[in-house]
Amino acid sequence: MFMCKDVVENIMGYIDCELDLQTLKELEKHTGDCPECMTFVNTYKRMLEITGKLKDKPFVTPEIRNRLRVLLKSKVKPV
Amino acid sequence: MEIGFIKKLINVIVSNDNEQITGISDDELIRRYTQLGDESSFEEIVNRYSDRIYGFALRITRNTNDAEEVFQEVFLTLTKKLHTFRGDSKFSSWLYRVTVNTSYMYLRSQKKHENNISLENYSPYDEKGTLMGRIRYKDWSSRPDIVIFNKESVLIIEKAINELPESYRTVFHLRDIEGLSNEEVANILEISIPAVKSRLHRARLFLRDKLSDYFYEWRR
Repeated sequence: MFMCKDVVENIMGYIDCELDLQTLKELEKHTGDCPECMTFVNTYKRMLEITGKLKDKPFVTPEIRNRLRVLLKSKVKPV
Repeated sequence: MEIGFIKKLINVIVSNDNEQITGISDDELIRRYTQLGDESSFEEIVNRYSDRIYGFALRITRNTNDAEEVFQEVFLTLTKKLHTFRGDSKFSSWLYRVTVNTSYMYLRSQKKHENNISLENYSPYDEKGTLMGRIRYKDWSSRPDIVIFNKESVLIIEKAINELPESYRTVFHLRDIEGLSNEEVANILEISIPAVKSRLHRARLFLRDKLSDYFYEWRR
C-alpha cells in the first residue's frame, strides 16, 4: 500500500518525471486522497521556485573585482 | 624581430576583436590566453565566472573574507594552470572542481574544517510512515508571489542553506542553484550519482521544512 513515506521518498523522481508509470499512478492517487501529501508536494514545488531565484544573484562587487585585479597584476608576470 | 614586440603585436591584433569577445567560446578564450598571451581573454574568463566562483566559495566557507581568499586563489591558480585544462569536461565543471579543492585546502590551512553531520535519516514523516498532522497546518503554497519571493524569504532560504552540513550544501548549490546535472555534480565532487541524489533529496526536505516554519511563524 502506497503511503505518505512513499510520496516523500519518490518526490525527486516525480518532479524530474523519472517515475515508472505504476509508481506515478500510485503517487498521484495517494496525493489526491491525502491533503497532507498534497500540501507536501505543493510546498516542495514552491521551495524549488524560490531556490531557483538564487541563481542569478550577483556576488562580486566592484571592490572585490578591483582587489582581484590588483592582486593579479602584482603576482602575474606580464607576457 | 624581438619576441616581446611580436607578442605585443599579437595582443593588438587580438584586441581588435574585443568588442566581440563576449561571444567567444571558453575553449577559444583559453587558447588565446595560453597560446597567445592575450590578457583580454583572461579578463573575459574572469568576467564570466567571477560570480559563480565567489558564490560557490561562499557557499562552502560561509564567510565573505574566506570566500574572497578562495576566489583570488582560484584565479591565481588559473593563470598558472589554465594550460593543463584538456577539455575532457566542460570548462565550468573543471573550474568548480578547482574551486572545491582550493576551498578545502584553504579551510584546512585555517583549521576551519567542518564536522560533517549526516542527514540520511532526516524525513518529515513519523515512524509509521505517515505525514498526518505534520504538514498541512503549515501550508504556505498558495501564498502570493509577492510574499513568497520577497527579500526576507530569500534571506531565510540563504540562512537555511547555510545550516545544511557541508556535503549537502555543496550538492544543493551546484544542482539546484547552479542548475548542473547529477552527473556533472558527481564529477565535480568526485562522488557517485546515487550519492548526489541522496544528498540533494535530504537537503531539499530540510529546506522545505525550514521554509514552512518561517512562513508559519510569519503568519502568526
